Amino acid sequence: MRIFWVLLKKELRAFFVSPMAYIVLALVMVLNGFCLRAALSVLERGPSEGSIVTWTFHAMWFWLSYFFIFPLLTMRLFAEEKKMGTLETLFTAPVRTWQVVWSKYAASVLLYCLLWTPSALNFALVDWITAGQVEMPAGALKGSYLILFVMGLFNLAIGCFASSLTSNQIIAAVVSFTMSLLHFLGGLFISVIGRQVSESFVDIIHYIASTEHIRIFTNGLIDTRPLVYYTSFALLFLALTHQVVESRRWKP
Amino acid sequence: MIQVQHLTKQYAGRMAVDDVTFEVEPGQIVGFLGPNGAGKSTTMRILSGYMPPTSGRARVNGHDVFHESLAVRRSVGYMPETAPLYTEMRVKEYLRFRAELKGLAGQAMRRRVGEVMDLCSVTDARRRLIGNLSKGYRQRVALADALLHEPPLLILDEPSNGLDPVQIRQVRELLRGLRPKHTILLSTHILPEVESLCDRVVMIHHGRLLADDTPENLARRLRTLTEVHAELRGSGEMTAALEALPGVRKASAEEAGDGWQRLVLRVEPRQDVREAVMALASERGWQVRELHRRLPGLEEVFVELASAESPGVF
Repeated sequence: MRIFWVLLKKELRAFFVSPMAYIVLALVMVLNGFCLRAALSVLERGPSEGSIVTWTFHAMWFWLSYFFIFPLLTMRLFAEEKKMGTLETLFTAPVRTWQVVWSKYAASVLLYCLLWTPSALNFALVDWITAGQVEMPAGALKGSYLILFVMGLFNLAIGCFASSLTSNQIIAAVVSFTMSLLHFLGGLFISVIGRQVSESFVDIIHYIASTEHIRIFTNGLIDTRPLVYYTSFALLFLALTHQVVESRRWKP
Repeated sequence: MIQVQHLTKQYAGRMAVDDVTFEVEPGQIVGFLGPNGAGKSTTMRILSGYMPPTSGRARVNGHDVFHESLAVRRSVGYMPETAPLYTEMRVKEYLRFRAELKGLAGQAMRRRVGEVMDLCSVTDARRRLIGNLSKGYRQRVALADALLHEPPLLILDEPSNGLDPVQIRQVRELLRGLRPKHTILLSTHILPEVESLCDRVVMIHHGRLLADDTPENLARRLRTLTEVHAELRGSGEMTAALEALPGVRKASAEEAGDGWQRLVLRVEPRQDVREAVMALASERGWQVRELHRRLPGLEEVFVELASAESPGVF
């Protein structure tokens, strides 16, 4: 466990000595601002069904930031070490593969959590400026950040996996972006084909539809199915990453 | 310290290491020689626990490299060929990180990092970013890293690669100083280095073991003719007279100015004709200003063994 902390510390440091962390942080902050602006303009139009929290996470800007975060946070994790050859130095020290995989993943998850703190501050700011006049249901807030967290776990694991496949960061970023996007579009499929298909098929699609999950959770409804879905797939991709990193031990 | 038995490593159909068997005793410095692509780095990677062999067994410090990989890695200080390092870290910071990975902590870790920085003379660069260091410095940082946990076995892949002659000598002295406590397996292209430093030489070529012996024995085993060089001045036909001496196969002469002749005698292996040459010179009244025997070095051994294996490697 001590080794894990040493590695985690190093990974976090690596994020903050490169400009990447600051660029992503700034980008997400700006887009969060746009999201809030979009939500406020919906509320200005008169009474609405959702709260400010719901509308913030329904803004187009939200999905824009969502897709850029994961490749940017994960692309260098393994690809850079492979390119520099430092994976060889790393694995000739007495470290286990899981310690390396989990420390890299944990570092990206921590940074991901950090990325969303400005948006939470935005809500606090609105609450303070309007002296509590804007309705902000606690359930919606909790649900929103919970689903953001597990969706992050899922997509960051995909990013880790993509990064472990190649020594080229660009390829890693493109692979992780494509996989995340395909998953998202798979879920969006339902709104495209509408109700022309059978009820059971729609139900299946609902299991993977990120837009649906966001809709449910930002309204304050906490459904365990997406939670289990995202975390178990995150574990699957981490296990795959582990196998890829270990592949030098079993590849012929 | 190292036991390698029938070690074989295959990469996608290509044999990198082919049925290699050798042993290294504790306390020895063993030179690992071979042309580029001979399988040196692959063997070293297997021995350092980075990847397992396709077949065969290797034990390091009593631990199997496949089944007890962590124990092997704890007892090996490995320095990869290109000395890959985290370029965004500073030297001291990097060594502290590596020391922590290798299980050192607190005061002991800080003291040890200071020691290896002094040992490898990188203390003056401790605050510099590794990315800005010269090849020589990086090489020595990597060496310092290998020494951190005081491993009983050091596996160094071309440790003098990229160093200038002064630094090469420093590293050689450093390695010599480690001898009683540490066993060292090092690969190199610099043959004089092997001759002056190593107790034993393991040569591989095309993945196969060519030779495993002391440098002196290897030279002795050699079939190549030894040479005797002489500079003589006098009258008469020198080359014919010298070729008549027993053991001399061929003599060639060239003008060295001022009436001096520079002669090179090709002599049968394990023969010494220097006394005979001296006797001949005094009998004929020739002046002598140089007479020495040139023993074949590792270079000749290496070239001969490698070219016997497959002509036209060099």
